[in-house]
Amino acid sequence: MKSALLFAAAALTFSASSVLAHDEEALKEAPPGAPFIQVSDALPLPEFIPGLGTLFVDPATLPAGPFLAYDHDGKLSATVYMTPLEELQNGTSYDGLGVGSHTVSSADVYYNAGHPGVDTPHAHVVLFHDEDAKSRLAE
Amino acid sequence: MAARRQVLLLGGGVLATLGLPQLLRAAPVETIEMKGTARGEHVWFAPVGLAVPVGTTVRFVNRDPGNSHTATAYHPEVFDRARRIPKGAAPWDSDFLLPGESFEVMLSAPGVYDYYCIPHEMAGMVGRIVVGQPGEPGWQGPVPVTEDLDPAALAAFPQVDEILARGRVVKG
Repeated sequence: MKSALLFAAAALTFSASSVLAHDEEALKEAPPGAPFIQVSDALPLPEFIPGLGTLFVDPATLPAGPFLAYDHDGKLSATVYMTPLEELQNGTSYDGLGVGSHTVSSADVYYNAGHPGVDTPHAHVVLFHDEDAKSRLAE
Repeated sequence: MAARRQVLLLGGGVLATLGLPQLLRAAPVETIEMKGTARGEHVWFAPVGLAVPVGTTVRFVNRDPGNSHTATAYHPEVFDRARRIPKGAAPWDSDFLLPGESFEVMLSAPGVYDYYCIPHEMAGMVGRIVVGQPGEPGWQGPVPVTEDLDPAALAAFPQVDEILARGRVVKG
């Protein structure tokens, strides 16, 4: 898992993606800085979403992300991807997506019916960056 | 007579200071909650079907801690959707409600009102309110299926007969 993510990170293109691949320090604490924006500043969503935390995203990477998920103390805890099911079914693939941290302790994949920003049924792919991350993002 | 007038005056004063808010609250108010599972796999209005008297105020409240929702009437004046509320009724759109926020609308025309949640219509988050009873002056029943209606939404509307029989229809 870890090496696969490192490979994905290495395949990233310049700009925001290069930050994700090579400058983890810049993303460790919220806010991660440009080109990322806080999701709740741009969309009608809670500032802290139970299960996902406080999300930041580069709008150019929507809908898939990566979304950087921070806990209440501003620590990067997870990287989240959101992939619309219909687009996957129609042949769209989301390749070479960036990661917020090269360390991943576990991953969750689950269905979401939609929300502002990604308002069609989609999958959430959540990469947790340490063993306590899930509990810190829970509520 | 003087005493009675005095009582009436007193009564009016009491109404003005204490009773009036109670009179205002006497107008029926019903609550419809916007709900969702913790991870957002399922979202819904509770109840999804509701029968109310004419003149009822319906309060939509977002009880979903992880998502925002709208309560939006199907109407050409609101996002150019085909009308699915009585012809003379005023359309509404709550805009996005964050967790804990609410929106109220008074329903004064008898008939069937269909509404939806903007980001979740495709997930079947719709609701139906029946105002008054069939046969009332001005009553308008459910609008036939329209082309712009998502199949998931269409399948989620409770039947009018079921709403009238049970008063409130709650999903599973």
